[in-house]
Amino acid sequence: MDSSTSHPQWLTVGKIAELAEVSANAVRFYEREGLMQVPPKTRSGYRLYGPEAVQRLRFIKQAQQCGFTLAEIQALLQLRDQPSTCCNDVHAKVIEKKLALEARIRDMKTMSMALDQLIADCSNDGRPAEDCPILGALSGPAGGAAR
Amino acid sequence: MKIEVLHAPGCVRCARELAGLRAAALALDPTVQWHEINIVDAIDYAVALGVLKTPAVAIDGELVFAKLPLPDTLSAAMRERRRTPA
Repeated sequence: MDSSTSHPQWLTVGKIAELAEVSANAVRFYEREGLMQVPPKTRSGYRLYGPEAVQRLRFIKQAQQCGFTLAEIQALLQLRDQPSTCCNDVHAKVIEKKLALEARIRDMKTMSMALDQLIADCSNDGRPAEDCPILGALSGPAGGAAR
Repeated sequence: MKIEVLHAPGCVRCARELAGLRAAALALDPTVQWHEINIVDAIDYAVALGVLKTPAVAIDGELVFAKLPLPDTLSAAMRERRRTPA
């Protein structure tokens, strides 16, 4: 290890992963996906990161926890990195994500209700599968299973 | 006829263009009900309309524009709707 690795400002991939509470594999994955910059190797072959890499990892991790996809996180990071961005731009992105999530929740509730109907229609007895009302409803006309 | 514009608070483009749209709507139909809705206060309603991006414009409870239209485009949609009410 050369002298740069002992500088307190520079961190190994394992250290930034630990500080951001992600795995080193996750860091490499984010690098491959273009969310993290890959630092050049030092003379002794280490890739060393500045403290801002930890912030960026935390940003990615927390955005994922809010449901943002990697592509959406990339867009948020670009907004963050652009000096011309104002908070309204970020706010609009978050509102759009909320709308998409709520629409998915609504669709999933509809699916769940369709499943409730299938469950209610089946007496769950030992009859052969060919007489199973669930399989019958799924094979019937469109909308039959989701009425 | 009821026109609802669902927009995010602080939308600079909305602030710039809404007055012109409202004027176009009122010029065509002075009785039009014009509502500007902060989408943050009406997320459930926006989802029910099918809004995925802001700003969006609904006419008589139906999502018609997924972005702010030009005043002429809004007027044309209103005329069309008057001819063929939902």
